[in-house]
Amino acid sequence: MLRNGWLALLMLALGLPCGVAQGQMLDARRLGMGGVVTSDVGDYTGSNIAFRAVPKGTGGSGSIPLPLGLIQYLADHPTFDSKDSTFNIYEVANVLLNPPLTIKLWQPDEVSGDISIFVAQDSLQIDLADVKRVIPKESMKQGGVYHVGGFSKSFGKVFLALSPLVHVKNELTLSDNLRDALRDAVPFTGNTRYGLTDEARAQAAISFQVGYALRALYRASPTEGQNADPRRNGSTSLYLGAAPKYLLGLAYGDAHSVAGATTGDTLFAGSNPVTIDMDTQTRHAVVGGDGGMGRGIGSDVGAVLYWRNFELGVGLNDFGSQIRWSTTVRRHAYDDSTNEFTTTEVASGERFVSRIPVTTTVNVAKRVGRTTIAGDIVNGDFRTSMHAGAEFWFGMLALRTGLSRDQNKMAQFAGGAGYRLGKIGIDLAIATNSRNIERERGAELSASLSLY
Amino acid sequence: MRRLIPIALLLPLLVGCGNRNLILTIDILSFMDPGSRTVNYGPIPLTPSDTVEVFSDSLNLLQGVSDVTRVMSASLDVAASFDNTSGAATGDVLIYFAAADSADPFTTTPIADIPFQLFAGQITNVSTHIEASPALAEVLTHDRAKVGLRIIINGTSFPIQGTETLTKLTATVIMKKDL
Repeated sequence: MLRNGWLALLMLALGLPCGVAQGQMLDARRLGMGGVVTSDVGDYTGSNIAFRAVPKGTGGSGSIPLPLGLIQYLADHPTFDSKDSTFNIYEVANVLLNPPLTIKLWQPDEVSGDISIFVAQDSLQIDLADVKRVIPKESMKQGGVYHVGGFSKSFGKVFLALSPLVHVKNELTLSDNLRDALRDAVPFTGNTRYGLTDEARAQAAISFQVGYALRALYRASPTEGQNADPRRNGSTSLYLGAAPKYLLGLAYGDAHSVAGATTGDTLFAGSNPVTIDMDTQTRHAVVGGDGGMGRGIGSDVGAVLYWRNFELGVGLNDFGSQIRWSTTVRRHAYDDSTNEFTTTEVASGERFVSRIPVTTTVNVAKRVGRTTIAGDIVNGDFRTSMHAGAEFWFGMLALRTGLSRDQNKMAQFAGGAGYRLGKIGIDLAIATNSRNIERERGAELSASLSLY
Repeated sequence: MRRLIPIALLLPLLVGCGNRNLILTIDILSFMDPGSRTVNYGPIPLTPSDTVEVFSDSLNLLQGVSDVTRVMSASLDVAASFDNTSGAATGDVLIYFAAADSADPFTTTPIADIPFQLFAGQITNVSTHIEASPALAEVLTHDRAKVGLRIIINGTSFPIQGTETLTKLTATVIMKKDL
């Protein structure tokens, strides 16, 4: 029983930061361009709904990932058996952060090393050695809005879409004292509180969407000829899209937790040398349970302007999206004097409106002949990322390069190549990333097929 | 109950760390009553040998640690100082560790035996390092343990009198995860 408790604590401590694999791109064409999005590169997830109205160009219309990383994973993967002597939870976490769909060219050294603890009656020093790498200098922020799968059907300018929507976020913050003690092996001292706060939220809904995307403005270029692609025909075109959505809330939960241990005059004196405080307030509603189903509305809107082969797009996803719930609020508090948790119901059936954070994508691109130079800024829950890249075509061969600033505020670099064979092309890309629990740079090789 | 909670909370960090170790160094001396670290001996009259029990104490140790860890080895560093004011002797410092449920730690086999020689008017420092004692490892990872220190003095010049001070008693336990 106690072992299960430890395992649960372990997963809580290490699983939360993992979240869903963030920003892993399986489109080697986009990845080779630094992850940049344009109306014909990498927008298969619908970052700008106005792109739907833009005629298909020469730049491609889809991508099929080739999960070569599975071969590498099958040949060499970490154990998931916690009883195995080689079990390393950090390696497992990295598998979750980096699903083995791409080939890992290099990765940060695995977290390992001995942990040293020195204990005296009035002294405690902990040297986590290599484990320090997983303790961030600032708070651990993880999360995002994920549109997982779904179904979409177009009827001319109108389209219908049904898709699951998941929003998760977690922010774990260590107090300065605790962070210093764990990161820098600063000795614990008396009469000091070592605390942490955690803000967690998760909600899931089904999105029913009806959208409309159209060309709102068109001014032909004298040199346009027969080319209908506004990206390259020099015309001035404005495309707009809007898609209101009805959100059927399946479940909502949040937790605001504060916990800490306050040391006494002497660290290990008496039977209870530390005073523990833990206080969590939770709010939840779930279909078929407390509060039932939530209901809400939202929208995706977007615009893209083409002018002399220059592209400027602005897409807002989940703009104004919110869900109304009937929630149950509970407070869970730990009483240090009795060594017991008490749970009290603060409210039942309390109305609560949750919001789905807006994801804003602003992209620019310039096409000169068969060359594309592009950049974007994507702002979402917790993080802003920037990408820039270029693609150069030489006959059937494309060469790509790019760079980005990722969610860990690190510069990442990419390059790749593609070869087109009629309606299909094969693309390879090598890119660096920091999608690992150590938040250090690694590199991957991605492969995919492009549909033209 | 929660004596070592700060340590216990860190164990998840260890257990994920592959085939690595938790090296726990405990300054046992710091947990002892300062008054029990020092004992005056003598005056010992003309006798072949005398036994001085410096202390026998019960310590709270690493509660919960043994639930998630497996002890690989344990070692002990012991040091003592004799300020011998008169007489001369040879002898042994004996360190005992026993489980909390044992009636008397001195009934167990000592885990350390430190020989010494005393001369009149001299301070004698002795120390030793006991490596990889399974018995010590077993005891140290339980909630409580009993520790005892006994001095056996074999006099060669009498009367023997002085002060013995325990100056170091540090245990180092190397553990691995055991989830």
